[in-house]
Amino acid sequence: MAVSRREFLKGSAAAVALSALGAPVLAATGSAGPDKWVKGVCRYCGTGCGVLIGVKGDKAVAIKGDPNNHNEGKLCQKGALLIPAVVYAKDRITDPMIRKGGKKSPLEKVSWEEALDFAAKHFRETIQKDGPQAVAYYGSGQALTEESYLANKIWKAGLRSNNVDGNPRLCMASAVAGYLTSFGKDEPMGTYNDIDNATCFFIIGSNTSEAHPILFDRIARRKESSPDVKIIVADPRRTNTARIADMHVPFKPGTDLALLNGMANVIFREELDNTRFIDRYTAFKKGTGEAASLEEYKAFVAEYTPEKVQEISGIPAADVVKIAKLFAESTAAVSLWCMGINQRSKGVWANNLIHNLHLITGQIGRPGATPLSLTGQPNACGGVRDTGCLAHLLPAGRMVENEQHRNQMEDFWGVPRGTIQPKMGLHTVALFENMVQGNVKALFIHCTNPAHTLPHLNKYTPALEKAFVAQTECFMDAETLKYADVVFPAAFWCETDGVYGCTERRYALTEQAIPPLGNSRPVIQVLMDFAKRVGVDPKLMPYKNAADIWEEWRKLSKGSPYDFFGITRNRLKKESGIKWPCPTEDHPGTNLRYVRGEDPLVPKDHPDRIFFYGSPNGKATIWLRPHQPPFEPADAEYPFVLTTGRVIDQWHTATMTGKVPELHRAYPSAFVEINPDDAQKLGVKNGDQVVLETRRDKMTFPARITDTCMPGLVFCPFFDKAKLVNRLFHDAVDAASKEPEYKICSTKVYKQA
Amino acid sequence: MAAKKPLLIIALLLALAGGFYLYINIIFPPVRCEAAKHPEAPEQYADCLECHLKVTPATAQNWRESKHGVLLVKCVVCHGLPDGKGSVPFAAKPGVQDICVRCHEPAMKQMVEKYGAELECDSCHPHHQNPMHRRAFEAKKPSKTSF
Ligand code: SF4
Repeated sequence: MAVSRREFLKGSAAAVALSALGAPVLAATGSAGPDKWVKGVCRYCGTGCGVLIGVKGDKAVAIKGDPNNHNEGKLCQKGALLIPAVVYAKDRITDPMIRKGGKKSPLEKVSWEEALDFAAKHFRETIQKDGPQAVAYYGSGQALTEESYLANKIWKAGLRSNNVDGNPRLCMASAVAGYLTSFGKDEPMGTYNDIDNATCFFIIGSNTSEAHPILFDRIARRKESSPDVKIIVADPRRTNTARIADMHVPFKPGTDLALLNGMANVIFREELDNTRFIDRYTAFKKGTGEAASLEEYKAFVAEYTPEKVQEISGIPAADVVKIAKLFAESTAAVSLWCMGINQRSKGVWANNLIHNLHLITGQIGRPGATPLSLTGQPNACGGVRDTGCLAHLLPAGRMVENEQHRNQMEDFWGVPRGTIQPKMGLHTVALFENMVQGNVKALFIHCTNPAHTLPHLNKYTPALEKAFVAQTECFMDAETLKYADVVFPAAFWCETDGVYGCTERRYALTEQAIPPLGNSRPVIQVLMDFAKRVGVDPKLMPYKNAADIWEEWRKLSKGSPYDFFGITRNRLKKESGIKWPCPTEDHPGTNLRYVRGEDPLVPKDHPDRIFFYGSPNGKATIWLRPHQPPFEPADAEYPFVLTTGRVIDQWHTATMTGKVPELHRAYPSAFVEINPDDAQKLGVKNGDQVVLETRRDKMTFPARITDTCMPGLVFCPFFDKAKLVNRLFHDAVDAASKEPEYKICSTKVYKQA
Repeated sequence: MAAKKPLLIIALLLALAGGFYLYINIIFPPVRCEAAKHPEAPEQYADCLECHLKVTPATAQNWRESKHGVLLVKCVVCHGLPDGKGSVPFAAKPGVQDICVRCHEPAMKQMVEKYGAELECDSCHPHHQNPMHRRAFEAKKPSKTSF
């Protein structure tokens, strides 16, 4: 590499100066390294990269990728810059705070005792006056597994309220319902290993490159290893993910259900279906739940001719055929999807239709052949879905409304039968709606920022103004703090210990590396101290630390379809993540779930190679689901479609990444992406202020003219608290999963006068 | 008197060397990046590509086409911020043991095991010129990238 004149001169000047002093020429960053490296998991996304935290004295000073975890030592820029900027951010909350004179009064620092008493008094009085249904817990896919398990138990068995929900409702609920309805149990059957074996990638509704960078690296490496590996990216935006694609297929937003049914049609027409697999391992169902036959299914998808798909979606008929053939003819196809499929008013159906493609072709249960739903948050899978920390769930795949399941949990938790309420609690949107109406009066928020992330914010922020809000938080700039009556300073990430479970059923432990900053405390401590004061029997919470909670949860999983009894705390300390099912301590973990000889829960002598033991008949379900338009498609009055999403450098509401100058300055504020053709028609130039006006609200953003968006589509990132783009969105939810449709609403777009 | 002479010469040399060092630092300030010339927009120091496409188009294009570019490992991740305010020190040539190691430690260890010596990664794997697609995309000219 050429040395510039300045560098040379400066270097020689320094050398002359230093050598004249007789000192050695020191490296610029020659400080001594950390005393020790502590193993953990990245705080951010659902990829769940392993990290090593460098500790010197009682300070975290460095971070690097864990070479023994799936990421093989690599981290993306978010993970690589977690330390020191985020851990030691200036606005870390280190003392408990309360508002003594109602919502309008300032947050004042108080002692832990005072804050806990203050919060507990409100909850206790609310329960006495209005019953347990008037209090709720709103958790997070970023909370530790132990925290979510504990909160769920405190609420459902201790306070007798099923109002336990959280932000996974906003991101993964449709994927959960998709796996449940297609396979009988939640969570993917494949793992990241499938990426290394796939010969065809069907990526739909996922900007993997920016939302899951290290997985994207793995896909790119697979592509690099052989030109025969084909990548299809179906997305109305031509994102960075499409850069490695053989085919980028843009389509009219919200028409992917037609594409998926159309692909199924082509697969049958071209005789690329796997009849043996269909006969042996699948059953068909109509939308009503009634059984259907293969012939009925074929007739159903036959309506979705390539030409009809073209008409609905704008994808050329020839491309529909090509994608279907690439998928079905490949030796091993993996589908990857994320919020583009989940955050939709027909999100569950879209999930089912992806599973259908794998089931009719038998692209499942082999290395590289699997439908792998990418999860957004680092612990939505393990922490919330598996522990049942949602309004309708109980731990390990049990349902609130199933009496047998309730009884099992009551017996296990040692509470009288009938303790757990038989009716499911309020899902997120209903919960906030009930808060607005005054039915739910006190809310405990943990590790999430609903005042920034709920849909139709203008409708739901009054909920937070009305109800009593207790909140755990690490950073002072979280939007929701504006509404908090009590703030508990939470120990951040490596200041406490706990398990995260990522996309691939991998449980991994972050060990405590440093003491909690200031007066902050581990949240399990906060939850227990709070619950005892509200009146929950201390016998329900006999835990000294997070390891005790893990021990209980591990025992509870034994014998269930989520069996991870073999994943002991000790193993987690030694190993960089283990994939369940893992029933015994000597079991290495499972790559191919539901496959005989791979999945320990399939009997060794099972007559079939694949056994979908999650469903009562042992078969996966192929669903007859028609195409349906989105809740609010573009129309003459609101002619554009607005969609939202992530950018690589910012995480969620930027309370963490916003502290890292390298990340924040890459995207300091929100913008709107507009296609050059649209921009020309609207007379908008790069940087112009553009108004987005929907039926709910209007907001102004600087324009970025780029062909990332197809004509008719505009995109805004959602990280910027100065531009709460969710104010523009409606609150339509999927009928089954109750997940809101953040990906599509109609809008006017015009240049600010 | 004679004993003082060498001391005087040393002091003089020191003063000269110090002066030279200062002079170079003043004439060639440590922050020369284009971005630093836009103090009115420090918020955009991390958006290097926009300016570097104009001022150093070959380097910018190379990065964009490289593995780091495809994976969006942006300039600041290795080079730091021009005003030095980030956690990565600003450097035109990031140190192998400080920067590369953060992601590539396993590969670096392998190389040391294989060749027995610590090498500069860059001599064989130019950071900005290691294409993602190797032969896989060879036929597809011109570049898939458009700005
Ligand atoms: S890919 Fe996700 S988990 Fe991995 S380092 Fe980046 S943010 Fe962290």
